[in-house]
Amino acid sequence: MDWGKVKFFLGEVFANLTRNAAMQLTAIGSVAVAIAMLGTFLFVQRTAAAVSDQALQQIEVSAFLSDKRDLKADSGLIARTGALPGVAHVAYVSKAQGLKDLRDKLRGEVDTSLLTTNPLPDVLRIRARHVADVPAIADAVKALPGVADVQYAAKTVQRVMNVLGAAQRVGLAVIVLLVLAAFQIISNTIRLTVYSRRREIAIMQLVGATNNYIRLPFIAEGVVAGSLGAAVAVTLLLTAQHELLPALAQLITFIPFPTQAPDLIPLALQLLGAGALVGAIASWISVGRYLRV
Amino acid sequence: MIELRNVSLLYPNGVRALDAVDLKIEKGEFVFLVGHSGTGKSSLLRLLYREQVPTTGDVYVDGIAVHRMRAGAIPRLRRNVGVVFQDFKLLGGKTIWENVAFALQVTGARTKDVMRQVPRCLDLVGLAQKSRMFPSELSGGEQQRAAIARALVNNPKILLCDEPTGNLDPSNTTEIMELLQRINTKGTTVVVATHNQAVVDRMRKRVVRLENGRIVGDEERGFYFLGLGQGQVLSG
Repeated sequence: MDWGKVKFFLGEVFANLTRNAAMQLTAIGSVAVAIAMLGTFLFVQRTAAAVSDQALQQIEVSAFLSDKRDLKADSGLIARTGALPGVAHVAYVSKAQGLKDLRDKLRGEVDTSLLTTNPLPDVLRIRARHVADVPAIADAVKALPGVADVQYAAKTVQRVMNVLGAAQRVGLAVIVLLVLAAFQIISNTIRLTVYSRRREIAIMQLVGATNNYIRLPFIAEGVVAGSLGAAVAVTLLLTAQHELLPALAQLITFIPFPTQAPDLIPLALQLLGAGALVGAIASWISVGRYLRV
Repeated sequence: MIELRNVSLLYPNGVRALDAVDLKIEKGEFVFLVGHSGTGKSSLLRLLYREQVPTTGDVYVDGIAVHRMRAGAIPRLRRNVGVVFQDFKLLGGKTIWENVAFALQVTGARTKDVMRQVPRCLDLVGLAQKSRMFPSELSGGEQQRAAIARALVNNPKILLCDEPTGNLDPSNTTEIMELLQRINTKGTTVVVATHNQAVVDRMRKRVVRLENGRIVGDEERGFYFLGLGQGQVLSG
């Protein structure tokens, strides 16, 4: 290991970061703004996904069991239903329990004493993990022995799936646009820092530095500027989460905000990585413009 | 060491910078390229360190066919060819030591070599005492000597100088030319493009004269103006 070389390289990176401090601050600032926008959007998207998941867990598939079925096979039926792909939860509601529930529900509105016989079947109430799985689960359950009929809110499921699909496509488009915008802003700013040093690049070429050697410090700078910018953005996001979310969560109790810090750490790491990567790529491209002979 | 065969250089704007130039420079020679501004002196030098590629013709430097060289091979050529300019091209943010060391460091040289070569070159140009100063703190002549030290730090076989004294007063000019002469006597081939008549006439070296991109004269121990004095024309 030649420490003199390492020292020279780090010295070059550091000197350039500090010498063009104003320019580097601009780069860091624009990375921070871009990454903060992206991070906010990703956070909102994740929260929305959590909210919709929670709301959709209310959608149930009801399997009405035949009165003529083999009662001893019921525990096997419940187990088989629970083992179907996408099923989150299965509850068995007996005729008697069903009638009691109905009576409780209608009390005060209808004279339930008129219900002298029990017209209700035994029922399995099934919840899916994802709303998209509901139709498939319904079909699978219907085919099981002992199941007379299956019902679920088919129209609602279809509508929700359409909305979710559209939201996902729009969300993806917005993310792509934000990433492109961030990349543009960052690479333009880095191009300015490279431009301010085109003399240095020309001299390096003149004395026989290879293109890769010329690129290296610039890429290191891009990584440093990108990471610093992302770090600023992540700090902002974490602070916002820490300060604002508890208040929001109290106001809007039906939304399950991810208030625990660990929930955001993978997102924070992804954003830091994105900042560093974008900085490196932007530097690579910007320097390339001055390396053509 | 240097050979141009039927070299023409046509710039995209239609200007013919060089026109069917044939030139041969042997190892260890000291050659002046003279002629008015815009006659192709700088263009000719640029061909030799592959800043320009000839439109037609062959360029050989130290046995390498520069005219058909891959871009990836350029750095190796440039480590063998030192270049000095009228405007010095020093980095203002670095000290003299750092400017000279830079040329070695960016080629990935070992620290041991940097520590040995830099003082040697600074000694050679007489700037050992001023190595910690910045270019702006030095006179023009001193800055040019620093630039020469930088050009020599890779131990090039060839030193190309494009109007090296264009920004200097007569006494600094004399110093720089004496320095170039000293470098030449140590075995480095030196090519100097200039339109400084006094310098050329005093040094009495080989003079290659360019006019409108053509070589119109080539004399051993020549003068700035064609055949001045002895009238000996050793066309080449």
